[in-house]
Order: sequence, then structure tokens, then C-alpha cells
Amino acid sequence: MNGKRLIALTRAGIMESLQFRLGTFVTLFANLIYLVLVYFLWKAIYDSSGTDVVNGMTFTDTMIYLILATALFNFLEMFVVWDMSRSIQSGKIILDLLKPMSFRKYTFWSYSGSHVVQFVMTFIPTFIVVMIVTHGAIHMGLNLVFFLVSTVLALIVNFSMEMIVATICLYTESTWGINIVKETIVLLLSGASIPLAFFPEAARKIVDLLPFRAVYDIPLTILLQKNGSTELSGLLPMFGLQLAWCLILYVAGTLFWNFSVRKITVNGG
Amino acid sequence: MENAIVMKNVCKDFKVLNRHEGLKGSIRDLFSRDYKTISAVKDVSLEIKRGEIIGYLGPNGAGKSTTIKMMTGVLEPSSGEIMVNGVVPYKERTKNSENIGVVFGQRSQLWWSLPLIESFRLLRDIYMVPQKEYEDMIELYRSLVDIEPILHKPVRQMSLGQRTLSDILAAFLHNPAIVFLDEPTIGLDVSMKDKIRSLISGLNSEKNTTVILTTHDMGDVDALCKRIVIIDKGSKIYDNDIEHLKSYFGNYRTLKMRLSDDNWVEEVIDESKQDIMKIIMERQKEQKIKDLKLEEISTEEVIKKIYEGASV
Repeated sequence: MNGKRLIALTRAGIMESLQFRLGTFVTLFANLIYLVLVYFLWKAIYDSSGTDVVNGMTFTDTMIYLILATALFNFLEMFVVWDMSRSIQSGKIILDLLKPMSFRKYTFWSYSGSHVVQFVMTFIPTFIVVMIVTHGAIHMGLNLVFFLVSTVLALIVNFSMEMIVATICLYTESTWGINIVKETIVLLLSGASIPLAFFPEAARKIVDLLPFRAVYDIPLTILLQKNGSTELSGLLPMFGLQLAWCLILYVAGTLFWNFSVRKITVNGG
Repeated sequence: MENAIVMKNVCKDFKVLNRHEGLKGSIRDLFSRDYKTISAVKDVSLEIKRGEIIGYLGPNGAGKSTTIKMMTGVLEPSSGEIMVNGVVPYKERTKNSENIGVVFGQRSQLWWSLPLIESFRLLRDIYMVPQKEYEDMIELYRSLVDIEPILHKPVRQMSLGQRTLSDILAAFLHNPAIVFLDEPTIGLDVSMKDKIRSLISGLNSEKNTTVILTTHDMGDVDALCKRIVIIDKGSKIYDNDIEHLKSYFGNYRTLKMRLSDDNWVEEVIDESKQDIMKIIMERQKEQKIKDLKLEEISTEEVIKKIYEGASV
């Protein structure tokens, strides 16, 4: 595989995303409102619980976790399903199918550029703000490197899930409902809206094994050095879970896609 | 390799749900297993040589796009064989797409918000075109059309004509053996159509690219195609030179007569069936004919006749 074409796609994606500066600012503003809501919600929860530590997390812990989860969500969020359903309806998908590389690879690398931009424009600023406000509550060390590795894995897991849902939409030709269901499940079970520590013990055991956790919870846990992720023995199972889901979803997604694309009938004609 | 495309007895069937009308019908459709088969392409055989420009014509819904989608490998034929550049397209779609270029009427493969030159660079990398060849190609483009004003313009700011031009250039960029142009001049003004036609014929003669052109504009056909393939209701009904076309479905000519009331009357005459002199004589019995003209029929009128005749 020629790496040059992948870099070219990333480069184009970066340039395209930068065309929409305003969008980034709107996202930051919307986040601010959301985070104010989250702040008061969790403040109420902590105030009424009567203790400072709930499920092993202090109020500050929870806030840092959720703020970074939001930033991570903006950075990892993909619109594969939306974009694909639009290009199926307009028939434009045929032009993407006729690129001399696999469609999945082409799609993934077309999005990579916007992830780079989002990472720099939303995640890093948020991270810096959190650092300043909390006076350095986040440890700066090897955990940053592990976090980056884990984020890349999260990206791949997330992309594979998106692609599988997008493939389902090939059959249904309607997207909205399916996508909403998917987003809700991911947000709930990945730890993006409620830290997984707050789940009941039994549910936690199941959620721990699902792929959704690999997207938000694991990178954040590693970054914030929770659950023994400072030790190799704590890190390895997390990376293991991410890697396993990467592989499973990649293989399943590829097979499902290749099977489905043969059935595709592009509109018009 | 003499033939760019070979199709042998290609058929394509679609299975569609039998839809029922009204709310009740719509609800019934949710559980219906009542499919009917539609044959979009029936037993089409075709051989296209390298460097040819083929006009691929047919009324709306005749199966043109379906055929092209099969040639590009997006659709798999229900039966029959297709070879494009020695490759079976639907089996090796990726490999096939290295050797073809496509322009689909209103859809653009260019990167919407980027200047055209960035799309070109991106396509160069995606198709792995060596830098030297890429530069030669851009040089060739410069000699054929004035690309300077559009090269640094974002695609979203372009007029339809500029965008179509850019899309055609993008399709030829990796010097493919075959380029499919699906209604490239749709919605363009006269001068832009002309520019695009001369661009296509220029690229075809410089690079010996095979061009499959579908269009409803007979001006495109007259300007570009030596050979025409007409398909209707999924079957091939004509495949020959443009010169033969006029005589193939009868020797058509237009007879124009100015009668005593000074009005011109037109009649399209099939010389193989009707005798022109006889028609004139009969007219003369009723009215005085002041003036006479006999004109060759235009391609457009022949095609119109064929479409109408074939769909009766």
C-alpha cells in the first residue's frame, strides 16, 4: 500500500476542515453551554449524596472526566453514516466506489484530516484549560503517550462501528433512526456522558467487555491514571481490549461491507 | 490489446418490490414479498476498440446508466460477460478503476471546498501518477483550454460550466484507457458546450483514450462520435457509423414546400417507402407550389424518429 496517497487524503481533509473555521467556534461555544449544564447537574448529585467521594470519584474527578470526554467526543465524532446516506441518495457514492483503492480505506483516510484538525482545535485547548483551572491535576508523563496510542485505537474502533452502521443503512435507505439509536448507545455505554464508575456492579461487568468503552472510557482512564493504569498490569488489559475490538470490528466490518456492496444499487439510471 | 471493452450477451435484472397505492397499500408493502423482476439490460453485446469515441444513446430509462455501471464494475451483470481492458470489472473493481475515468453529469468528484489544483494533486497521489506524467498532463490541459482562471478557484465557487470542465480534466488526469462521460454537457451554454467538445476530442486524439459518451444532445454526437450505439428498453437497436444512421432506419429527408398562401409546409419523407415526386405531384393537384426545398434530415430528427418508433 502506497502511503503517499493516504497522507494526501489526510492533507486534503485538514485543508477542507480549516475552511470551516466558524464551525469549530460554534462547537466550542455549544460545549461551553453543555458543560455548564453538566457542572450543575453533577454538583446537585454530589451535594445530595452527602459525601465528597461517590463511587471512588470526587466532584473534581468527575468534572475533569466529563469535560475531557466531551472534548474527546468532538474530536472522535464521525459523520460517516450521515455522509454515506447522503451520497447514496444523490448517487455520488459511485464516484467514491470508483477510486482505485478500497472504499473503507478511502473513507477512513478522508476523515483522518478532520480528526487532526479537531484534535488541535478542540481537544488540546480544552486540555490546557483543564490543566490551568485544576492547577495541574493531570499527570504529565508517560500517560500522555499511552493516551495518544489509546486514542488512535479508539478512533479505529469508532470508525469500524460507524462503518457497520453505515453499511446497515445501505439496506434500509433511511438513516436517521438507526443513527440516533447508535449514538445514544455509544454515548451511554462508552462513558462519554456518565463515567462508567457510576454504573451498577453487574452492568459494569458487561459494559467493561463491550467495544463502546474502548472509544471514550479507556483513553480517559489512561490519561487520568485511574484503575491502575499507572501499572503495566493495569494498562495491558485495556490495550488488549481495544486491540481485540479493533480486530474484531475491522474483520466483521470488512466482511459485511464487501458482502453488501455487491448488492448495492445506485440510484438513477 | 485491440478491444478496450468487450460485452457478450450481457443482461441485468433488478428485483423490485411491487408497491401498492394508498396508505393501506403502503402498510401492506411493509410485509410484502411480492417482487417483480425488471430487465434493465437485455442481451447486449458490444465491442469497442481503443481510441474510439462512442455515442451511447437511448431514451431516458433505456438502460444506459446501468450498462455504464456494469462497465465500471459498480454493478454485476445478471448474466453474460464483460471485459474492460482485459479485466472483469465487477470482480476487480479497484484494478479496473485505475484504468478508467468517469464524469457523471451533475455529480462532481472534486473536493468541494478546495481549489481545483488541490483536487488534481490529490488525484495524482490517489492514482499514483508519476510527477513527470502529471506535469505533462497539466501542460497538455493548458494547451487545450484556458485553465489558469479556474486552477486556483475553489470548486464550490465555480460556474456549472467551469465545474464540468474541471471534472472532465480530473477524469483524464491519470491517463486512463477509457473515460465514461455521462451527459457531460447537460445544462451548459452553447459556447461552453463547444469548449467541452473540443476538449474531449483533443484529449481523445492526444492520448488515444477511448471515450464512451452518453448524451441527449445531438450536437455532442455530431461533433464527437463516429460510431453510435442506441439502446432502448434494454436492447441494442443500432450499432454503426453516424453516416449509416440516416439511411439505416429509412432514407429520411425533409421536404419543404411553399404553398400559394406563402406558408412553408414541412414533411419528413422516408425515400425507401415514399416517392418524393409523387408527394409533390399530389400536393400540386390541390394547391400551387411556389417554392421547393429538399433537406437532409438532422441527426436529432433521426434519433427522435427512432425513439418514437421503438417505443410504440
